[in-house]
This record gives sequence, structure tokens and C-alpha cells, in this order.
Amino acid sequence: MNLYEHTIVARQDRSPNQLKKIQEKYTKLVETFDGNIVKTENWGLLNLSYLIKKNKKGNYIHFKIKGNGKTISELEKNEKIDTDLLRYLTVKVKEFDLKTNYFGKKEEEKEKKQTN
Amino acid sequence: MKKRNKKRSSQSNFNKLSIFQPHKYKFKKKCPLSGKEAPIIDYKNIKLLKKYVTENGKIMPSRVTSVSQKKQRELSLSIKRARNLALI
Repeated sequence: MNLYEHTIVARQDRSPNQLKKIQEKYTKLVETFDGNIVKTENWGLLNLSYLIKKNKKGNYIHFKIKGNGKTISELEKNEKIDTDLLRYLTVKVKEFDLKTNYFGKKEEEKEKKQTN
Repeated sequence: MKKRNKKRSSQSNFNKLSIFQPHKYKFKKKCPLSGKEAPIIDYKNIKLLKKYVTENGKIMPSRVTSVSQKKQRELSLSIKRARNLALI
């Protein structure tokens, strides 16, 4: 089993419900091809540094996946066709660092507000 | 080599720039990304990557930033990954 980091960029005009569906869809897909998702991070709506298909912003979702090469190839095969997505990137890593979260500041603040 | 050294050194090192300088003074800076407490190079760490990119988005040469060869390779790879995701 290998460890992968997988990021997808969805279009800016998708609603939170649609984004959740996208996330669920791919988590299911990974699990059907004997993969395992260790962690999902929702980076939220970020500004793109250049236009992609006339989009200025993108919704970033980040997965940390434990699986083999077949799961990844199936994932990418489905993502290529998907019209909701702008980009995807998979990176093979030796170890996950689950501590540092480069985009998590906003989420943490939201959680704090909710608890307060 | 001397000319290069002069350019690299800051003004505080000016006294050491004499022709008869002893061998122990080196004008090379240390690599800021290697060593024990160096930051991790990662395509998600945009703050770090932006330091090593010009205003136009080009990767800075290691002779300017004095990053070691090994780390420069890692840097360029992670900058290119970040570019693909439109983070930089």
C-alpha cells in the first residue's frame, strides 16, 4: 500500500451541498477500489492565481489516501471526465504530516465560533 | 571568483574584502533551507514558496538565494506543483 496526497479544485459556482456530494462521490470511489481515506481537508474557496476556464476562484478539497496504484488510476480516470472539477493533483509521499495545516486557519476560527 | 564574492557580501563584511584576506573568511551564505530547524518544502506551503519566486512568478536562481543544489531541486518541483493547482 502506498500513501498519496490528492487535491481537487472544483468550480467556484458550486453550492456547499454539491461540494459535499462531490466529496462523498470520490470517497466512495476510493473505498470501492480497496483504498482507504485517512483524512480529508476542506480548504474552502480560494483565489486562483490565474484564470482556469473563466473561473477566478476555486473550491479546494484535499484527501490523504492509503491505497495502491489502481485506486489512483481509477480516481483520475473519473476526474478527467468530471465537469465539476478544474484541476486535480496526486502526490506520492513517504509519510503524512497530519499536524501542519496550511489552509486550516479559517476553519478553526469557524469551529471556535460555533463552540462559543 | 573575487568579483562574485564582492557582490554577494553585505556591507558589514566590507572590511574582510581586502586582497590579503586570510583563507578562513568565506563569503558564501549558508543555505537557508537545509539544517536542523529549516522549514519543510511543500507545495502546500505557499508562504515559503513565494519567497523564492519573483514578482512575475519565475523561480529565482540558487546563486541569488544561496539555496543548496538538493533543496533547489525540491523547491522547483514543489513550485511547479503549486503552479498546477493555481496556488502561485
